[in-house]
Amino acid sequence: MVIAIGFEGSANKIGIGLVQDGKVLSNCRRTYITPPGEGFLPKETAQHHRKVVLTVLKEALEQSGIEIKDIDVVCYTKGPGMGAPLSTVAIVARTVAQLWNKPLLGVNHCIGHIEMGRLITGAKNPTVLYVSGGNTQVIAYARKRYRIFGETIDIAVGNCLDRFARVLKLSNDPSPGYNIEQAAKKGQKYLSLPYCVKGMDVSFSGILSYMEQHTEKLLKEGYTPEDLCYSLQETIFAMLVETTERALAHCGSNEVLIVGGVGCNERLQEMMGTMCKERDAKLFATDERFCIDNGVMIAHAGWEMFKSGTRMRWEDTFITQRFRTDEVETTWRDD
Amino acid sequence: MGVTLNIEVPFPNNQQAQIVYDVLRVDREPSRSGVEKELKVKDCILVAKFTAELPRQIRVSINGFFDKIDLITETFDNFGPPVSESYSHFNNA
Repeated sequence: MVIAIGFEGSANKIGIGLVQDGKVLSNCRRTYITPPGEGFLPKETAQHHRKVVLTVLKEALEQSGIEIKDIDVVCYTKGPGMGAPLSTVAIVARTVAQLWNKPLLGVNHCIGHIEMGRLITGAKNPTVLYVSGGNTQVIAYARKRYRIFGETIDIAVGNCLDRFARVLKLSNDPSPGYNIEQAAKKGQKYLSLPYCVKGMDVSFSGILSYMEQHTEKLLKEGYTPEDLCYSLQETIFAMLVETTERALAHCGSNEVLIVGGVGCNERLQEMMGTMCKERDAKLFATDERFCIDNGVMIAHAGWEMFKSGTRMRWEDTFITQRFRTDEVETTWRDD
Repeated sequence: MGVTLNIEVPFPNNQQAQIVYDVLRVDREPSRSGVEKELKVKDCILVAKFTAELPRQIRVSINGFFDKIDLITETFDNFGPPVSESYSHFNNA
């Protein structure tokens, strides 16, 4: 029996959760929400995490019903992400590891998403689409690494959505992407937008620029904000489904797993589902509790690392803004 | 030439000073901050030395430094005291 606690704070969510051998004991989270039209910046986000981190920690411990002495390993997000928020949360993780005399493990955020997705859905060896505000990658496992088959060459898909929400001054509560998704459901008129797949990679910055430059004019021409949300979603999700399909075909896999905050978009899930059906593949996705950044995913990925014997020297428990998915050797997978 | 600032931060005991030191020493100053930070522990005191080209750079660094100490201290108050006299997982790997 191994119990892990995980600390996540790489972007505007702070999450702390406990997991015991694949069983989620607690999963507490707060989101830093900015006013409409504004994004979140590192300094203010770190201040938000600073304010609530100890409260969230207390909550997570209480809800888990676990005594501190029974925790085996403390895990935190080592990267990738924004420096200041990462550092704030890592400092608390380091301090409690010292206070409680527990080993400390730094976890790759993307690996956290993948392993949590596999745990919750039961997907064995899926082709993974990892889509969030900061990351866009098509990933498949091969020989002890999660390999990146395709990725964005500029901004993340979630960043594109978030920033378009700012153009429309949509609310950031609960998230800009959620509000775009709701608006898109009412969209009728499809606007043809730049479609930007380059081999296995995707690009969103040009599409975003197009939207930023043309929205005012398009609204005057009779397109509604809902039409624009709908058209944007259809276009960028089609790009993601296309590259995922190619990776799926290449790997001869029959499972697709969608993880990351954008992964709870039901339209994306629906489009991916259609593609999977045509290929006799199975689609796996999770809901907002586990899709959106959370502490349990860090605890669970750390649990996998810990069980397979991974340990870290104290000097290595730093944070790093850049940390690629394929830098981590997946010591816990034998296939 | 540059600027140097020496700071001594006292703690209730050596162990607490040591933990604050261990928590802080892991993260490097961001390279573009232009600040070099040296930390050590002397009994119950955390001794810090900041060096930079410009006073402004040191000011930014110091703010962060005290914010972090404040967070560690609050974590101590809420989740301490330490369960053991020393930490046993420094050289795990």
